[in-house]
Amino acid sequence: MSYQFDRLKILVVDDNAHMRKLVTTILQAFGVIQIYEADSGERAWAVLRESNPDVCVVDWMMDGMSGLEFTNKIRTAPQTPNPFVPVIMLTGHTHIDQVRQARDAGVNEFIAKPVSVKTMMQRLVSVIESPRPYVRTQVYFGPCRRRRGAEEYRGPERREKKAAAEAAE
Amino acid sequence: MAREHPIELFMPPNMLKAKVGGGVFAGLDMGAIRRAEAAMEEIKSEFSAWAAADVEKLMAARARFAKTPDAPSRSALLRAAHDMKGQAATFNYPLIARVSGSLSKLIGELPAEKELPLGLVDAHVSAIHVIYRDKVMDESNKVALALTLELEARVAEALKA
Repeated sequence: MSYQFDRLKILVVDDNAHMRKLVTTILQAFGVIQIYEADSGERAWAVLRESNPDVCVVDWMMDGMSGLEFTNKIRTAPQTPNPFVPVIMLTGHTHIDQVRQARDAGVNEFIAKPVSVKTMMQRLVSVIESPRPYVRTQVYFGPCRRRRGAEEYRGPERREKKAAAEAAE
Repeated sequence: MAREHPIELFMPPNMLKAKVGGGVFAGLDMGAIRRAEAAMEEIKSEFSAWAAADVEKLMAARARFAKTPDAPSRSALLRAAHDMKGQAATFNYPLIARVSGSLSKLIGELPAEKELPLGLVDAHVSAIHVIYRDKVMDESNKVALALTLELEARVAEALKA
């Protein structure tokens, strides 16, 4: 049985109109009917609060509030309608440090540009079928970065060390 | 090594799965993929105009930076190059994607306190303009590929210096 994508509400955030058109064309062909668009992080926040989407597809690099800042706000702002909403990030950044940065902001999945139909479907299926557990610590709230669960992690507490170093500066 | 601090780990209810269904594991919906690929084919006729708009935007950003080389104009130039890098391959201009990727790397990785070499920026912008003007969609085009490789090498040198 295939997915009933027509039941989904998806928010597409990108300040580039062509990229929004590409993404919405793909989503509409998948059967998604309720697609909300925003051309900035600030506008996206307003739309998010009005429409409470099921999934957000967000560009990283935007003027004003970036995709990372928007994601972080979804996860941590008291006014957020749903701190668990899956965020799929569109990005031209593929360096491991940048991927880590996005993970730390609470991104669930990535799509490296150029956007392809198959990748878009794979990421949608991933947030539906393989949701990550969520983690709350003193310095982070968001999807667990380890698919097998944080309880298995035995390494150093990188985020806490970073926060402590920043606090000491 | 034991964890030093407790963390709260929990699995929220899977509301998405409940909403869209799909059985035990529906997997990739190949019918939807085919529909989307057909829809992409239909909008391909618009790609040329979109690519033209991106080239114009990049040239305008370059002109603004040349006139006023400050942080906002540098950032706008990076944005224009970065957008082009992300979209040119979709618009069937793989070498424009590479050249704009090279330009993004130069602007993004050169420390902010270092002056951006305008000559090298211009060489990238001109190359993108020519590749678009001549509609070079073949990434093995000898002249365009040689130009691309040269620009990438110059960026590597500039970042090392």
